[in-house]
Amino acid sequence: MGMQETTETTPPSQRPRRGGLRRWLRDLRPASDRLVAGGSLSGLLLRRLRDGVIVLLLVVTVIFFLAHVVGNPALVFAPVDATDEHIAELHRQFGLDRPVAERYWEYLVGLAQLDFGESTWQQRPAIDAVKEALPSTIYLTVVGLGAAAVLGVVPGIVAGARARKPFDKTSNLLSVAALSVPNFWLGLLLILVLGVQLGWLPTSGRFETASIVMPALTLGIVHGGRIFQLVRSATFEEMSKPYVTVARSKGLTEWNILRRHVVRNTGVTTATIVGWEYVRMWGGAVFAIEYVFAWPGVGLLTIDAAHRQDFFVLQAAVIIAGAFVIFSNLLIDMGYQFIDRRIAAS
Amino acid sequence: MSGMPLLEVEDLHVTFRTASGPVHAVDGVSFTMKPGSSLGVVGESGSGKSVTARALLRLFAITDDVQISGAVHFDGQDLLRIDERRLRDVRGGQIGMIFQDPLTSLNPLMAVGEQIAESLRLHRGMSRSEAAAEAVELLARVGIADPEQRATELPSSFSGGMRQRVMISLAIACRPRLLIADEPTTALDVTVQAEILLLLDELRRSEGMALMLITHDFGVVAATCDDVQVMYAGKLVEKASMAHLFDRANHPYTEGLLRLVPRFEDAHTGRLHPIPGQPPITGGGGSSCAFAPRCSYAVDRCRSEVPPEVAVGPQHLSACWLATDRAKDNTEAGQPWRRAQ
Repeated sequence: MGMQETTETTPPSQRPRRGGLRRWLRDLRPASDRLVAGGSLSGLLLRRLRDGVIVLLLVVTVIFFLAHVVGNPALVFAPVDATDEHIAELHRQFGLDRPVAERYWEYLVGLAQLDFGESTWQQRPAIDAVKEALPSTIYLTVVGLGAAAVLGVVPGIVAGARARKPFDKTSNLLSVAALSVPNFWLGLLLILVLGVQLGWLPTSGRFETASIVMPALTLGIVHGGRIFQLVRSATFEEMSKPYVTVARSKGLTEWNILRRHVVRNTGVTTATIVGWEYVRMWGGAVFAIEYVFAWPGVGLLTIDAAHRQDFFVLQAAVIIAGAFVIFSNLLIDMGYQFIDRRIAAS
Repeated sequence: MSGMPLLEVEDLHVTFRTASGPVHAVDGVSFTMKPGSSLGVVGESGSGKSVTARALLRLFAITDDVQISGAVHFDGQDLLRIDERRLRDVRGGQIGMIFQDPLTSLNPLMAVGEQIAESLRLHRGMSRSEAAAEAVELLARVGIADPEQRATELPSSFSGGMRQRVMISLAIACRPRLLIADEPTTALDVTVQAEILLLLDELRRSEGMALMLITHDFGVVAATCDDVQVMYAGKLVEKASMAHLFDRANHPYTEGLLRLVPRFEDAHTGRLHPIPGQPPITGGGGSSCAFAPRCSYAVDRCRSEVPPEVAVGPQHLSACWLATDRAKDNTEAGQPWRRAQ
């Protein structure tokens, strides 16, 4: 392949891990790599942006074909007792009688202008409904991730460094419990105990500052459990490396070994783990949690839209959530390129 | 003062408790080192030589379930009994240590200068800038060209031999009185090995520190050490001065090890002389000579009683039931390991 592909010269074992889709995309991209080549961080950002756009385009296309070509929106909108003529009329009204290519192009142009269609249920542009819900979800996921990081990262490091000691055994047990409990059940349990029985916290909606506490805590516990597991094993593995023995032979305290040496080396892994948990939240947990706590975010909006067969809102929510995940992924990627000088240099 | 030993190890025992039972990695080892002396510790993998070195500074992983007994007198204190804080002053301060694999012994994400400076700030109370300047001096001292530039680089930009030089500069940074080198050349090319040994020898003389060199290679010891002790299954089986040992190796295990050193004269025959069998994996602690199953001279007594250390010459000890007879043979007919070739 092209000489400019500096990233391809590193042996496979040193390459950052990528999913199958990423690898497949990489094979597609040599041509445009020539335009945005170079090992610099900005070159990398351009490449990642381009990859992100390609993935988003794939998502959007899949949705289009599933909804507009395989499915028939006219059937969804038609009343139960609609006649065939009525359905045909709707079909024409939606423009479903026109060629697929033409409709696809119009769809893309619409999306590019952030035109996702009208909400049938809320009588306003679908994008407005999503725009309104998005900040709530971002707020919830960011606070939830913060809680997960606090619950997972620091105890994970300590447990990994004190492996097989009482703290490690106890926290390990707790984390396994945390990550194996279904998130909605944990949410309900918290509502029952903290909300109903003790009456300390509001149980649903987003009406006061304290409303965030329980949903964010639920997210924090479930995702913190997994973060703990991964950070713990990364730290444990790092602690058994020879340079840690060398650091000990220099007379450093265990605390300084951890702080100055080990954490520096597990930092990339930790950042990646936490970043991935953020993406995972968007991928599922946030829907269940928003539903349980009636949190007015994109997850709840998506579920409501599905119930009310509000196709355009559903479509807008899925695409925007997808774009958000892709964008977060890109930020994580760039962030950890930044942290690890080795990866940036290679 | 001159007669005082720098290091005095008394009846050191190290036992690891593992899932498959206890392993007596070090089984009653005693020896002394004078200031500025050089001692080679030779043995196969699993003979307990590295564990002995680590036990001196209690350098074990947190997950190792390890029991240490005996005494390690160094500079008027027993290193096995002092608290963690005083032990940390000794580690890297008065005793420096070099490890086998220079590729993994340095923190891959910290500039090498910073890794050296860390020790200097800790033990010599230097400021950040003083330590950085001293680190550059130390890198120059171990023969690294362009030290100012190199100090700011990460270990990944150094070759194996250069990393071991960095490791040495790190270990000697605080002018230790004892430098322990645990297989310092095993992972290196032969030509680089020689350079590193030369550097260690030169540093020992110029800094006046004692050197304890752990290796499985008699060639390495011969080039660097005044005294040598041979370990097998957690025990010292023979101790002597280097010159004396080469001339009058007494213990059958030492004899076997010396035979293993490939010689040019053997090149045309293409023959090596391996010691048959494997060392015991559970270490010492038995009620017989641990080497007996592999020893071609073994008699009944070797299989029923542990042989004591017997003086077979000036400063020469051998733990073998046949030691006295073999010492006589040696003086009369020369070295069996030489004769056998």
